[in-house]
Amino acid sequence: MLSPERLALPDYEYLAQRHVLTYMEDAVCQLLENKEDISQYGIARFFTEYFNSVCQGTHILFREFSFIQATPHNRASFLRAFWRCFRTVGKNGDLLTMREYHCLLQLLCPDFPLELTQKAARIVLMDDAMDCLMSFSDFLFAFQIQFYYSEFLESVAAIYQDLLAGKNPNTVIVPTSSSGQHRQRPTLGEASMLEGVEASLFYQCLENLCDRHKYSCPPPALVKEVLSNVQRLTFYGFLVALSKHHGINQALGALPDKGDLMHDPAMDEELERLFKSEHGGPGL
Amino acid sequence: MAAVEKRRPAVAPAASFPDSGRPAVSRTAAATESEEDFLRQVGVTEMLRAALLKVLEARPEEPIAFLAHYFENMGLRSPANGGAGEPPGQLLLQQQRLGRALWHLRLAHHSQRTAFNNNVGVAYECLSASGRKKKPGLDGRTYSELLKRICRDGEAPEEVVAPLLHKIQCRDHEAVPLDVFRAGMLTCFVLLEFVARAGALYQLLEDPTLAVADRRVGQAVLDTLEGALQASDGAAVPACFLEAGSRLGPDSLALAMDRALVARRPSSPMTREEFLEKAAALFIAKVKPVG
Repeated sequence: MLSPERLALPDYEYLAQRHVLTYMEDAVCQLLENKEDISQYGIARFFTEYFNSVCQGTHILFREFSFIQATPHNRASFLRAFWRCFRTVGKNGDLLTMREYHCLLQLLCPDFPLELTQKAARIVLMDDAMDCLMSFSDFLFAFQIQFYYSEFLESVAAIYQDLLAGKNPNTVIVPTSSSGQHRQRPTLGEASMLEGVEASLFYQCLENLCDRHKYSCPPPALVKEVLSNVQRLTFYGFLVALSKHHGINQALGALPDKGDLMHDPAMDEELERLFKSEHGGPGL
Repeated sequence: MAAVEKRRPAVAPAASFPDSGRPAVSRTAAATESEEDFLRQVGVTEMLRAALLKVLEARPEEPIAFLAHYFENMGLRSPANGGAGEPPGQLLLQQQRLGRALWHLRLAHHSQRTAFNNNVGVAYECLSASGRKKKPGLDGRTYSELLKRICRDGEAPEEVVAPLLHKIQCRDHEAVPLDVFRAGMLTCFVLLEFVARAGALYQLLEDPTLAVADRRVGQAVLDTLEGALQASDGAAVPACFLEAGSRLGPDSLALAMDRALVARRPSSPMTREEFLEKAAALFIAKVKPVG
């Protein structure tokens, strides 16, 4: 919810906070794509349905990747949809490979990039064994961090590299790449005596990052919490900690707590009803 | 989308998310032109501009939900739904008129004075339009019904707002002029916000296990509130009272509460309803009765 200060914001800032123009433009695009089916007075109806679907978070289903990642609300809606559609995978305790999870993602978004799924898997697996199996909840929470905070993570990776190389942490770091450039991932267990970077120094740089950048960052207070538990940590150690942090998950607001991931009373009721109708009532 | 963008007021969206990567769909000039024609013909461009202006005027907390509701209302007025596309009121029943007026009144926060007054005007027209059995103008009965409905939807307990209604209601068959209507609407909305804030204040005071507040503390807060309200005496505009109330600094309030607890008097509980009633009474005392 926006603060009461929304009343004093200049017009474009107010609109930008909730990406109003993004959705209006997309609504018109969708309208044009479907214009044969819509009569003159169906237009208001069309827009009603469109904006309702945005509110409910169903608007991202089967849409192109560029739209899904366009706003924080879209990303959160997509995460939520993925969870709701495929949580039965978790219920059965099945373990899937990265490629299998990617197939599931592509069911909801046909052009979802493999690179992103790979990055998410790397958080869970912590090494290059990309054929390893992952549980649904492990993958889901790692994927959430990777997908929702993509830009943030890229900047963090850059900062981490600089710290490893011993560069001055107060240098302004501007990531020049969007999603293409690959950073050398630090290989674990190399000759260095001390692994990773010093946590407090790392936090200082991250704090600056959060202040400076406009894209979504995890709440700085929670990042501090994550970093205060250790003396040193590696980049992937940091990401794992982020993905397992309950507070960050709650702050994001897309997924329930890990314990409630399989909790689906509506679905259970439905299944009960189906079961009863198929096997007859208690009298039979 | 360049065609549509040109018509919008020149805003540069300072987007938090770079809208980069949206597929650049290659279209021929002719295709774009025909799309632009289509949009203009069916009135989409105008529709969206009006919607956007409304959003900017109202500055709702949830603009997307607001837009959904906005287009839903628009759809209701279309010929497909039995309306004739004429100004609302001609064919609508009383209840629908009330609903429509309420919707207009809620579009802008009462502190956005110009927008709020505009909307009050539209709501007034909506209610005053003549129907088959209705003469033009707003009658006291409809006015009272509207006031009650606003208070009910605002979740203010009946006993709390009853004194206000008593003061500003008009007789059933009396004609209600626009300025009385406007003043009444403003007072009503301000009171609702006042009660909401008083409720929030009470929540700070209440003992979570007992769900009541200590009477001494509650009374101290009410006294401080009264003092703040009196300080703003002479202000003609109801909204100033809210300002006065918010001038209750945490320091003076804390002092008052401390003093109350220190005084050696046996404590008794004060319920939420009582607190709200008394707080509302302070406000309502300042309201000028109608007639």
